[in-house]
Amino acid sequence: MEILHLVLRNLLARPVRSLLTLLGVLIATASMVLFLSFGEGLRRSLFQELSRVGPAIQVVPEGTEGLGFGGYPEITPRQLAALQEAGQALGVRALVPTLFLARGGFDPQTSFFFQGLPPGVGPDLLYPGVRAREGRLVPTEGGAVVGGKVAKRSQLSLGSPLRLSPQVGLKVVGILEESGGLADNLIFVPLAPLQQVLGTENYSAVLVALNPGQKAEEVARALEAAVPGLKAQTTGEVMRFAERALRISDLVRFGISLVALIVGGLLVANTVMMSVYERIREFGVMRALGARRGFIFRLVVLEALLLALLGGTLGLALGGVVSFAINLYTLDQVGLALSAVTPRLSLFALLVALLLGLLAGLLPAYHASRIPVVEALGRV
Amino acid sequence: MLRAENLSKRYRQGEKEVVALLGFTYAFPRGATAVVGPSGSGKTTLLNLLAGFDLPSEGGVYLDGLALHQLPEDERARVRLKHMGFVFQQWNLIPTLTAWENVAFPLLLAGRPRKERQEQAFALLERVGLAHRLHHLPSRLSGGEQQRVALARALALDPPVLFADEPTGNLDAESREQVAALLFEAGKERTLILVTHDLELAARAERILYLKGGRLAREEVVQPAG
Ligand SMILES: Nc1ncnc2c1ncn2[C@@H]1O[C@H](COP(=O)(O)OP(=O)(O)OP(=O)(O)O)[C@@H](O)[C@H]1O
Ligand SMILES: [Mg+2]
Repeated sequence: MEILHLVLRNLLARPVRSLLTLLGVLIATASMVLFLSFGEGLRRSLFQELSRVGPAIQVVPEGTEGLGFGGYPEITPRQLAALQEAGQALGVRALVPTLFLARGGFDPQTSFFFQGLPPGVGPDLLYPGVRAREGRLVPTEGGAVVGGKVAKRSQLSLGSPLRLSPQVGLKVVGILEESGGLADNLIFVPLAPLQQVLGTENYSAVLVALNPGQKAEEVARALEAAVPGLKAQTTGEVMRFAERALRISDLVRFGISLVALIVGGLLVANTVMMSVYERIREFGVMRALGARRGFIFRLVVLEALLLALLGGTLGLALGGVVSFAINLYTLDQVGLALSAVTPRLSLFALLVALLLGLLAGLLPAYHASRIPVVEALGRV
Repeated sequence: MLRAENLSKRYRQGEKEVVALLGFTYAFPRGATAVVGPSGSGKTTLLNLLAGFDLPSEGGVYLDGLALHQLPEDERARVRLKHMGFVFQQWNLIPTLTAWENVAFPLLLAGRPRKERQEQAFALLERVGLAHRLHHLPSRLSGGEQQRVALARALALDPPVLFADEPTGNLDAESREQVAALLFEAGKERTLILVTHDLELAARAERILYLKGGRLAREEVVQPAG
């Protein structure tokens, strides 16, 4: 019958009301956890992916930094030539112009992501460790090498036709082993047909592979100096940029879930306030017997904290389960775990729930502990 | 010893001023003192001031020389816990706690360990004849049983002063007798202050104070103390 026991007794005395409040906090916390788990998931897969990417530097048009290789194809052949010249002078290992094309809709089932590679260059240069399961590793003229997941999903085999546009078609000449990385979901093709489909001679990015001992930062700055209008970003810079962008999107998503949290907090405050009003006589008796005001204050705040913490913990668990279910789907569909309930997210959720309970409990607790004893005893 | 000196309480009610108690001076000796008087004569007001629930407009309350009315709220609560026990007319008990837990409540406030609390609560309930009701919630107890639990709780920390405001007000004759017997028994070695309308009950005390219009009108000694 310690004070917590007293609080528990009171919550259990009105089980339906307590349960409903708990449910409110549970849903609020679960939705927040879920919202934020997407940021964590994205962060995790992005950094896993980036740390696996071979080339240390990506050259992109100025203004499209941080978009990875997905920007508009704005690097002209002249700029590429200038880059190659500068790269040779700097002694880089390889300089690979590349181009991206997405075909299909929103549904990952029917979408295809093509990456163009210059003649003779295989995907293993960009995605180290990638191996061919069947056929070739390096795309040929008119021949595409298909990532393991795409092949499985779209039931592609050697010789299957692939259509980039009504005019341009290719044949599958190689299928990659599944590596668990980004390459699983890509189709590697020669640059020329992609440029034809996009109606451009340009490239969206130039990837630079370094020789051992070369400093990414220094090479990047030298390339930028040599070719104006381009931005050379090292993997570290991309990570920092992405982290900034993710943090902003975290804030936005937290802002959205704040609505649910505030509703949950109000639920707790309402429940506790109601229970305070019903128990004014009880508090009066306690104080008549010799309880100090702080005792009543703690009793009420603990009630709110307990509700919030219990709801928060269950909400976290529910968020985790839903996140797991979402990942099962997205892993199957696009090969990425989109959602992650990381330890720091769990801790954050529990802290938010606690803070919620504290805020919801303070006012009723203050109220309960301030009523004059005579007045409280006068109530029935 | 509990002593009231020139105790007055006035309430503001809009323009008017209500004098609930005026110039009450009395030293309560050991044993039972009944406070009687018509409705509105200031009985509850007096009890509120003596117990430190409320502060007087004038005058003071002294417990063994300690000026109770000069202490802040939480200090008065401490004094109540250590030195005073209470039985009210009704709704005495904490509804979510069982009989023994109610009795153990002051022991909890005093920071006693659980084992001691339980043992003592059981013993106290046995003393008031409720050994078979230890684990009942107040809602499962009769009015008389509830008052006996309240009395057991009032005695938990063995306080020298015991207050009772109409403790038998809502009880049938048989329960009334049980509660009264236990109350006066407990009041023997303490200062028992019993507020009541019931003159029969008051007559069992050693002294009776008659309040009228907020003043102490008369003191009657029923049986000489000791
Ligand atoms: N909070 C208050 N505000 C204004 N007047 C009050 C207040 N409390 C008591 N009074 C008045 O003070 C007077 C004494 O009240 P008190 O409750 O002490 O009487 P009592 O003797 O206990 O009456 P009863 O036998 O009905 O319980 C009454 O006139 C009452 O109306
Ligand atoms: Mg009264």
